[in-house]
Amino acid sequence: MATNLKPVDVAVVGLGAAGGVAVLPLARAGLNVAGIEAGTWMDPAKDFHADEIYNNVRGMITTGNKIRREAPTFRTSSDQKAQRVGPSPMMNAVGGTSIHYHGQSWRLKPWDFKTISEVKKRYGASYLPKGSTLEDWPLSYDDLEPFYDTVEHEVGVCGKAGNLKGLLDPAGNVYEGPRQREYPMPPLRTTDYLEHMKAAARSLGWKPFHSPAAINSVPRHGRGSCGYHGYCDRGGCHLRAKNSTCFSTIPEALKTKNLTISDRAQVTRVVSDNHGRVTGVQYIRDDREYFQPAKAVLLGSYTYENVRLLLLSKSKAFSNGLANNHGQVGRHYFGHWDAQAGVGVNALFPMDLNVWYGAILSQGVVIDEWADDSFDHAGLGFIGGASMTVNTERHPIAAAATETFGHAPMWGSKWKAWIHENGGRTVSAYLQANSFPYENTYLDLDSEVKDPLGDPVIRVTSGPKENERLAAIYAQDKMEEWFKAAGATAVKKANPGGPRLSTHTYGGTRMGDNPETNVADRWGFAHEAPNLGLLGGSVFGTSGARNPTLTIQALAWRTADHLIKSWKSIAG
Amino acid sequence: MADEKQSLEMTRRAVIAGATLVPVAALTAPAQPPERALTAAEKQILEAFVDRLCPKDELGPGAVECGAANYIDIQLAGYLAAEKEAIVSGLAAVDAYAHSAHGRPFTGLSADQKDDVLAAIENGSATTVPNARGFFNRVRRLMLEGMFGDPHYGGNSNFAGWDLIRYPGPRQAVSPEEQKMSTLPKPYRRSAWGAEHSGH
Repeated sequence: MATNLKPVDVAVVGLGAAGGVAVLPLARAGLNVAGIEAGTWMDPAKDFHADEIYNNVRGMITTGNKIRREAPTFRTSSDQKAQRVGPSPMMNAVGGTSIHYHGQSWRLKPWDFKTISEVKKRYGASYLPKGSTLEDWPLSYDDLEPFYDTVEHEVGVCGKAGNLKGLLDPAGNVYEGPRQREYPMPPLRTTDYLEHMKAAARSLGWKPFHSPAAINSVPRHGRGSCGYHGYCDRGGCHLRAKNSTCFSTIPEALKTKNLTISDRAQVTRVVSDNHGRVTGVQYIRDDREYFQPAKAVLLGSYTYENVRLLLLSKSKAFSNGLANNHGQVGRHYFGHWDAQAGVGVNALFPMDLNVWYGAILSQGVVIDEWADDSFDHAGLGFIGGASMTVNTERHPIAAAATETFGHAPMWGSKWKAWIHENGGRTVSAYLQANSFPYENTYLDLDSEVKDPLGDPVIRVTSGPKENERLAAIYAQDKMEEWFKAAGATAVKKANPGGPRLSTHTYGGTRMGDNPETNVADRWGFAHEAPNLGLLGGSVFGTSGARNPTLTIQALAWRTADHLIKSWKSIAG
Repeated sequence: MADEKQSLEMTRRAVIAGATLVPVAALTAPAQPPERALTAAEKQILEAFVDRLCPKDELGPGAVECGAANYIDIQLAGYLAAEKEAIVSGLAAVDAYAHSAHGRPFTGLSADQKDDVLAAIENGSATTVPNARGFFNRVRRLMLEGMFGDPHYGGNSNFAGWDLIRYPGPRQAVSPEEQKMSTLPKPYRRSAWGAEHSGH
C-alpha cells in the first residue's frame, strides 16, 4: 500500500533540462512544488572526469541502472519484431541530460513553427513530404521569443545576436528570427582551427558564426567560466561552467524554499480521477511506494518515458492510457537526422589542427545557409536542410580509431605511421537536418520486453524517410565543399540510414490546437486532462535543424508561466 | 580584461584543488596488483595478436609495450568480465586456426604468417573462428582503448599511446595558446585520476 504524502500544488516529474527549468518560475510564484527525480545529485569533484573511457566508451555518467532497465526496443517497420539496440541514450540525475550535453542552446526558426503554411506559400502543397503528419505549431516564434529570452538569461547562454530587432549582424546568425536582446554573454573564445574554417566559409560567400551555448564564457552568477579542457561531451563540467539545471535554475528554485526534491524516486504512474483530472503521482523510493497528491502535474521526463508513463497510467477515464482517448499518445514521434542517424562528414587536413581541447559543439562555428528554408528548394525534391557545425574537442581513442581515407591499412606498421602523422589532422563535422513526423514512425508499448517492475518498455518504430535523407545528403555535399575550401586533402561523407534511439527525439505528446491529432494544447497542457502539463521534446511538431534544449526550456518556462497565470482555472 | 585574468586564476585554483581529490583509499592503502583474467598462454596469444596490429618499430613502442594487452587482461577481470569467455574462446580459435593453416601455434609463427592469420580473421575467411570479423574488430577496438585510454585502466604505459598520436594529455584548464594550430602544447603526461593512478 502506498504511503500518502502531504499534498502539494505542483508535482514535477523529472528534474532535467525541462523540469529543472519549470520549477524556477513555479517556486518563485510561491507555489509549493515537489520535484520528483529518478536520479540523484552529482558531485563535480567526484563524478566528473577528464577521461574518455569513463565518459565516452563506458558512459559511466550517462547509463544509470534505471534507464538501462527501461531501454526501448527498436524496429524500422510495423511488421518486424523490435529488438533492444543499446541502452537508452538519456540519464537520470538532478540536472538530467543537461549535465552531459554540449550546452548547445538554439532558438528554432520562425519557419520551423509554420512549416506547412510556409512550404505551401513558397512551393505549393506538392512539396510537403509524403506520408508526413506535419502540422503548423499552435504558436509562433514571436509567441515563444520572450521565453527564449528569459531562459537565455536565467540559465545563462553565450552567443552573438545575428538579428537584433530586425537589425542583421553577420557576426551572429543572420538567419535567426528577430530577438529583442543580445545574449547575456559573448560566445566561447575562438581558436586557430575555427578561424581557419571561418575564412574558408567566407571564401564560399557563406556567413559563419559561433554557436550559442549554455556555458559561461565569462564568470557569471557566482560561477567561473569554461576551462576548455575537452571533456564536455558526455561528461559533466568539473568547473560548473556548463549551465546544467543542477547548477543554474534548480539551486535558484531551492533558494525560495518552495521546492522540495525527492531524488532516487521512480515515478510509476500518474493517477487520474473519474472526471479526467490528474490527482498526483505514484513513485517508488527505497523499495517503498508513495503517492504524492498534487493539484497539477508537469511531466518532464524524456520523450520515451513521458509517452510510457502516459500509456501505463490507465484509469476509468482513460482506459487506453492517460490523455489517450484520441489514440494520439506515441503518434507523430520522430528522431532527428543528425550524427545519431548516420549523417556526417569526415575530413583529413595536411596540417596539425590541435583540436584536442575545447568544448565540443559549443566551441564551434556554424553555417546556416543550407538549413530550414534559407535557400531556394525549387526543383530539389525536398524541404528543409541541415545546419553544419565544425568544432573543437577530440579524444585520443576516437582520434586513433579514425578511418584512414583509403590512404593506409587499418593495422600494422603502415597504420601506425599513418595515425602518428594524421591522428591530430582528422576532424568530423556535425550536421543536423530538419526532421518531421510521419505515419510510419511512432511509439507504443512493447508487449514482450518488460522492466523489472513488470511494466512494458517503449517500442520505437521508425521507418525510412526520403525527404530527410535527401536533405542530409544535400547538406553533406555542402559540407564537403566547405572542408575542401579549407584545404582538406580527403573528405568522406556518410550514408545516412535514419535515427534509431536518439538524444534528439520529438513528438509522442505533440502540441496542437486540434485534440483529434494532438495530446497537448497550445500551452502544453493535455487536451483531455487539463491539469496535466507536458514538458520536453515530446511536444514538438518539427525538430528544426538544431539542438532542441533551449526550445524545450523556453516551452517549459512558458507552460509553467501559463499554470501560474491560470492557476484557478487549471488547478482550482 | 581584469575579469578574464581573475577568472583564469580562479579556474586554475579550482583545478588544483580538484586534482588533489583522489579517493582516500587510494592514498592510504598499499598498491594492490590488479586482478587478471587470462592464463599466461592466453595472454601470450593476445600479445602476439595485438603486436601485429601495432608492432614495435622505428616509430617506437607497439601495442604490447603501450600496455594494450595488459589493459585487456585487467579489464576482462573487471568491467569487461562479461566478455571474458568470448575473448578466451576467440583466442583459442585463433591458435587452432594457426595450427591448421601453418602447422604451428600462433605465437610460433613468423611475422608474415601471423599477418596472414590475422588477415583471414579480419576478412572472415578463417571460418573456424566463430564470428571472425566481429572478434577481430573487438580485439582491435580494445587495443585502441588500451593504447590510447587513460593509464588509470592499466594501459597506455608511460603515456606512449598518447605520444604516438601526439595527444598532449588531459589538462584541467586550457589556455588560448594551448589551442593554437602552429604549436602543439607540451605533452602533459598525467592521468586524469592523479599521479598515483598512472598505470599499474
